[in-house]
Amino acid sequence: MASKIPEKALHLIINAPRVTLNSIKPLPDSYTLKVRQRRSRAKGGQSGRGNKGQGQRMTLPRLGFEGNNTPFYMQMPIEPYYQNHQMIDLGRLNTEEPIDLNTICNTGIYKIKPNDNEYGINLTDEGADLFTSRVNVEVQWAEESTIAAIERNGGMITTRFYNPECLKAVIDTQDHFRKGLPIPRCPLPPQDALEYYMNPENRGYLADPSKLQEARYALAQKYGYEAPDYSMDRNPALFKKMKDPRQIFFGLSPGWVVCLKDKAIIKPKDEDYIQYYQS
Amino acid sequence: MFSLHLRNFVRLEQKLIQNHLLSRNSSFKSGIALDKLYEKSDNHPTSSEFSRTDSKSTTEDGLAEQFTGEIPIKDISIQSCRSSGPGGQHVNKVNTKVEVRFNVNSATWIPEWVKPKLLEEQQNRVTKNGELIVTSEKTRKQILNQADCLDKIRHMIFQASRKPKELTPYELELIAKREEAAKKRNIEDKRRRSLLKMRRRGEFF
Repeated sequence: MASKIPEKALHLIINAPRVTLNSIKPLPDSYTLKVRQRRSRAKGGQSGRGNKGQGQRMTLPRLGFEGNNTPFYMQMPIEPYYQNHQMIDLGRLNTEEPIDLNTICNTGIYKIKPNDNEYGINLTDEGADLFTSRVNVEVQWAEESTIAAIERNGGMITTRFYNPECLKAVIDTQDHFRKGLPIPRCPLPPQDALEYYMNPENRGYLADPSKLQEARYALAQKYGYEAPDYSMDRNPALFKKMKDPRQIFFGLSPGWVVCLKDKAIIKPKDEDYIQYYQS
Repeated sequence: MFSLHLRNFVRLEQKLIQNHLLSRNSSFKSGIALDKLYEKSDNHPTSSEFSRTDSKSTTEDGLAEQFTGEIPIKDISIQSCRSSGPGGQHVNKVNTKVEVRFNVNSATWIPEWVKPKLLEEQQNRVTKNGELIVTSEKTRKQILNQADCLDKIRHMIFQASRKPKELTPYELELIAKREEAAKKRNIEDKRRRSLLKMRRRGEFF
């Protein structure tokens, strides 16, 4: 059986319109449509703009303006909550090392403003049901359910205070070292916060270590999970690392000056300085 | 702000802690290091000082065993499923309802004398096989609902371990007196009533 395609093609050519001036058209991008002038009887006169005023004179204010009172879109304050940061899941934080404020600020996607009286991180319990990572985390404030969520996955959480000077050093460490400032000695928290940080139930850094075990067990009983056993962990070194109450960086003592250019650490020799930083 | 209070949780003494204490060290020690703040406290207790409470332990007086508030998590079964009620996508997808179940008779952590009372009081929650089922969908979080379930279980067991108040002889005397007086009053009232009815009828004895 002969193919019908040549026949169809011939049929198309025979019945195609003749090439004339009105049957050809340039490519769409090469021409622009002319604006239609509204010239008929109905569209003339004020041309649909009304009489006098801002409407006719093209002096209307911007969209959303409400006559100089605070417009609707400016009534609500900006509260930039961090959503979908997923620092652990996306590998920005290493769970095999202790996580503290310094580590979180080093990711570059979390900002703290000490000048706005912000003292650090308050770890909320949002997503507590989905959390499955084993971490050693140090924050500034944590609720009971947050502590439970972390400990039931075998992790450890401590709450720790930084004063504004230490906070600046912790948030932007490079800037602090570039200025040639020594590592500050962190003072005790103020009176109203001291109670919080000395309470083992809040996992405060100044709490009695022997009471911490009890608090962990009590919380495990309350929330219904097995209390964490850090000594039997596959990486006990993770939980052994600890910071002194005056210390703000792991492995570095207060009073040291870190010179980034020479890649050296300058330690104080003067007796007064040594005594001050050791106290 | 919603908060869960442990209604009847008894402070667990050192008896229940099994874990070995982790020795933590920092590279720098200041004047307010934890070792110096808490010199006197026992930072490194040995495991021999701790022992688990055993409800099975024999005591001279069987009724002396008390439920301390401890629930061994390994011996109970915790399951989660989806909650009911409004809530859109969250309630449709997330397992926030928690169900805790355990067999009452085979539970070693409940004193023996409490079990029959518990089964009687909570018969609506007990299955044919003797399993007590407690559910909670109080909050939006599974972790809090689980805590609520355990709280409810503790409350039930403490309710079942309530003993009737032991009355002194003076109190017993007082009660007997009052019961007698009440009986007398009852009889007198009845007599008065019947006399009144007879008068109304016009009967005179």
